[in-house]
Amino acid sequence: MSTSAASGPDQRARLEEFRRRLRATSGRRRKLRGLVELLRPYRSRVIMAFVALLLSTAATLAPPPLAKLAIDEGITPKDTATLNLVVVAFVISALVYWGASYAQTYLVGWVGQRALQDLRIQLFAHLQTLSVGFYSRRQAGAIISRLTNDVQALDQLVSDGVVTLFGSTLTLLGTAAILIWLDAKLALLTFLMFPVLGIASFVFRIISADAYRLTREKIGAITAYLQETLSGIRVVRSFGQEGRHKRRFAELNEENRAANMTTVYLNAAYFPGVELLSAIATAGILLFGGYQALQGDVTVGVLVAFVAALNNFFDPIQQLSQLYTTYQAGMAALDKIFELLDEEPDLADRPDAIQLDRLRGEIEFDDVVFRYGGEESGEAMCHIDVHIPPGQTVALVGATGAGKSTFAKLVARFYDPTSGRILVDGHDLREVGASSLRSQMGIVPQEAFLFSGTIGENIAFGRLDASREEIEAAAHAVGADEFITALDHGYDTEVGERGAQISAGQRQLIAFARALIADPRILVLDEATSNVDIHTESKIEDGLRRLLGGRTAIVIAHRLSTIQRAGRILVLDHGRVVEQGTHEELLAEHGAYWRLYRDWAEQAAA
Amino acid sequence: MRIFLRLLGFLRPYRRAAVWSVVLAGIAMVGTAALPWLIGRAIDQIDAGHRGDLKLLCLAVVGAGLLRLSFSVARRIISGRVSLAVEYDLRNRLYGHLQSLELGFFDHQQTGQLMSRATVDLQSIRFFLGYGLVWIAQSGLTILFAAVAMFAKDPSLAALALVPVPFVVVVAARYGQRSRPALQEVQQRIAELTAEAEENISGVRVVKAFAAEPRQLERFRHAVSRVFDQAMYSNRLSAFYQPFIGFLPNLGLAAILVVGGRRVINGDLTPGDFAAFYTYLLMLISPMRSLGVSLGFAQRATASGKRLFELLDREPQLQSSPGAQPLPPGNGRVQLHNVSFAYVGGPPILRDIDLEVDGGTTVALVGGTGAGKSTLVSLIGRQYDATEGSVRIDGVDVRDIETGSLRHEIGVVTDDPFLFSATVHDNIAYGRPEATREEVERAAERAQAAGFIAELPDGYDTVVGERGLTLSGGQRQRIAIARALVTDPRILVLDDATSSVDASTEQAIKLALREAMQGRTTFVIAHRLSTIALADDIVVLEDGGVAARGTHEELLRESELYAEIASKGLPDQVFLNRDPVERVAGL
Repeated sequence: MSTSAASGPDQRARLEEFRRRLRATSGRRRKLRGLVELLRPYRSRVIMAFVALLLSTAATLAPPPLAKLAIDEGITPKDTATLNLVVVAFVISALVYWGASYAQTYLVGWVGQRALQDLRIQLFAHLQTLSVGFYSRRQAGAIISRLTNDVQALDQLVSDGVVTLFGSTLTLLGTAAILIWLDAKLALLTFLMFPVLGIASFVFRIISADAYRLTREKIGAITAYLQETLSGIRVVRSFGQEGRHKRRFAELNEENRAANMTTVYLNAAYFPGVELLSAIATAGILLFGGYQALQGDVTVGVLVAFVAALNNFFDPIQQLSQLYTTYQAGMAALDKIFELLDEEPDLADRPDAIQLDRLRGEIEFDDVVFRYGGEESGEAMCHIDVHIPPGQTVALVGATGAGKSTFAKLVARFYDPTSGRILVDGHDLREVGASSLRSQMGIVPQEAFLFSGTIGENIAFGRLDASREEIEAAAHAVGADEFITALDHGYDTEVGERGAQISAGQRQLIAFARALIADPRILVLDEATSNVDIHTESKIEDGLRRLLGGRTAIVIAHRLSTIQRAGRILVLDHGRVVEQGTHEELLAEHGAYWRLYRDWAEQAAA
Repeated sequence: MRIFLRLLGFLRPYRRAAVWSVVLAGIAMVGTAALPWLIGRAIDQIDAGHRGDLKLLCLAVVGAGLLRLSFSVARRIISGRVSLAVEYDLRNRLYGHLQSLELGFFDHQQTGQLMSRATVDLQSIRFFLGYGLVWIAQSGLTILFAAVAMFAKDPSLAALALVPVPFVVVVAARYGQRSRPALQEVQQRIAELTAEAEENISGVRVVKAFAAEPRQLERFRHAVSRVFDQAMYSNRLSAFYQPFIGFLPNLGLAAILVVGGRRVINGDLTPGDFAAFYTYLLMLISPMRSLGVSLGFAQRATASGKRLFELLDREPQLQSSPGAQPLPPGNGRVQLHNVSFAYVGGPPILRDIDLEVDGGTTVALVGGTGAGKSTLVSLIGRQYDATEGSVRIDGVDVRDIETGSLRHEIGVVTDDPFLFSATVHDNIAYGRPEATREEVERAAERAQAAGFIAELPDGYDTVVGERGLTLSGGQRQRIAIARALVTDPRILVLDDATSSVDASTEQAIKLALREAMQGRTTFVIAHRLSTIALADDIVVLEDGGVAARGTHEELLRESELYAEIASKGLPDQVFLNRDPVERVAGL
């Protein structure tokens, strides 16, 4: 029931439709309309939940008037049959309350959770369409917060908020109506406590919202401090600073206590205060109602019903006063969520995008200029013209900031050039379908990123349908099989799990296997510089050779062996290609490459 | 039960306040229990047509309300204080205990687990000790008073009216028991979902590179539906229990209506008593619930207490021996004598090592992954104790040196240094908080860090670390070197594995290291020839033993392993991608 409805093309089409509608709406009421859009697919359940809510509210309201009937129509006139009838009605109303409350809680929970699930998936799907540029502009934590905290704030609003709004309002109105029906004068007297209770509750909520926010901040600070000093426990110990941390922790702890004490005082004032108010209201009803009863204007049953109905006033007012905070938090969350959904997918495929067939792997930079920011930022690439024939390995060499990784990122189309064109097999990258390009392009970043899951799954990330044999063959080809099979669970070893420490070099080998299994026509690779032991080092060298064979490759090279083997070396400086050629040719030129090489040789010998 | 009693022990320092809050709660409950009785009396007066006592009774109702108000205000403040004080004590005690445990303990603990002890478990204990106990007392007393009052009036009707009480308590307790773990599991699954999203965002380049967006969406969808399923499970629990708990007392009310009503008709019961019974039962609804909830608290607190005591009962090892002395003055001579070491339950890492290092010299440790380099240096600072053999500094066994003074004399710079979320200044002055800004700046200069620190937004006052500005690996390492320099240690332990730093940084770090080594005994876990070149002596480790020792030239001749490392492992780290050497020199 849960997963089946959430997947499949129908759902996807519906989500697309939902997004279209959301984006189409605008203006002041947009947020509320957005909420309605979220609930629209489940309108039949929403209606059922409402019916259940009405029923359960009616059933909650029933006991006081029924008790009144029992007293006035049954007990006082000594009519046992009526009494029995009323008691049967009483039990039925209790059963209705049970059933309707069950249905209402369940349905509201279901609809709320389902709507938020849709929203989460929608947000995530939207995130997938955004370019790498978006991710480098935004903080990861903030993006994640949209998917978690903000959606949860909405959950509060959708599940609790809506139910409180309708349920509590109905209870209040219903109770008021019943009291007026029982006795209008006494009812008006009772209503006198409304303003007092309402204002007190509202003020209490506002003050206590601040106080509780402070306690959350304080406990958050404690948790963060604990987390940090536990993560850094080795540093703490090696500098012998335990005492200082204990003192600081005690301070934070004290601040937390003080903040919580404020909430204790607030609660100690408010809740007993409300109880006192209820006692005063009871006394008022008894006194004035009593006089009226003595004059024969009201019956004893009415008095009992009034006293019993008082309880129905207090809870809804307290709950309604909380609604304001929930509403504000939910709206703020919705703002942030909309802001994210409004982010236009850049680098999206054109409608008429060319779907590439199998590539030969020819790359051409045609007068490419690139800036990361607007006009004012410097040119990271200036007027690059490079032609790379199919199958060639090109090593990029140059100082930090020379433009090596920008060059690589442009080939991978993480960004589009500011001006000029990048062509693959003669097609402008802007005109080809992203997935048909990427599926033929392998990218190996310097720090091999592994996803949680097994090693086998990480290798198969390159090609979803890869069989176990193919995974093992790829690992074997790049020389990763040796260390993988030595692990306790081999290819099924969970990455990142304790006890399965995978070194930087081994990660690199897994990333090679992942790229190899995708069998890309074009490979973009940032060679790792991390230090690895000799054995892994030679494995990586061999693995790299296998990986580069038979395809066009752009390598940000750090190893002399790689550079020497490259078909061509591009020496970059400040976003320009200053030299190109093979190792021998460039050394013979006695230019920039020769100077770099000479410096390195001196360094290595030092 | 033993755990339960130990938990109650946390209240010992506050026993007077705790007793007071129960007494106050009791008195306040007298006020509460008096209300229905007074209401009943008032109704009898009205029914009998007397107006005389009505005013008095109404005043008494307000009086009972005031009594309840004053005592429950006092009770709430006192028990709130106790609860927070217990929480404060427990948390400090736990933190202090964690700080006293040896590092080996943390090797086998996940930080998340410890965090959960210190937050979730602590919370449930404090809830129980602070509120749960008072609620149990208060609810129990309310039910008791009401029961006494009802039995005094009409024992059989009282018995009937009270029938739902045990059911409500049991059902409420059961609800608490089942819903709490269900809700925690929801949180757990949301954490998984967060992790899934985090991973997708950190790995966005890989995802894009392999056009794996649809699969990532599928994985996320799965995580989302796991949250949904669990949220629905938890939702079904509350959909069932909450209305059920609300439903049960209604049965008692119906019973009073039918049975009590008949008695009034037969003249066995006054209408006022009947109204009193009805009101009593209404009044009991919330104490019944909270009694159930509090019993649930007690159960959870006991389970949490068990986990917490496991941690608190763990004795710290690696304490200084009773007669420990401060490290005597010396030049930092280090001797390892027949040292073997294995992590608890693990295979031997070091085997029978004999090593002497003269004060003020630099030793480079070279060897493959797992050769025992890091373990060896961690024994010198007594992060661990040798399983066999002895480690001596300036002739004294490290186990006989007072830990504080030992740590003060040993500076450590790891390959992936941890910085605290604090300013650069505070991070550098970490080992000596009283260090002046001049001292910090001098250390930063010597560590070649002054240049980039000056370019940070707030210079030395820039907050770095997890919750601050992210620094590169090379920058963090230089700050760590400065941090070690500020304490001016006798012995320095360095790990130079600088993964992915560019060449100018590389060069700067080398200069910083050379500066740091001046005048102290230094152990360098070396990964490159340029660092090895800084050492007076090279020790080659293999499989936990010393394979060879000597200078670079000696070892090239004598050690096949070293020759292989030197020819293959080290020099092919190419530094072609670097700034011109002039720019580095200008640092």
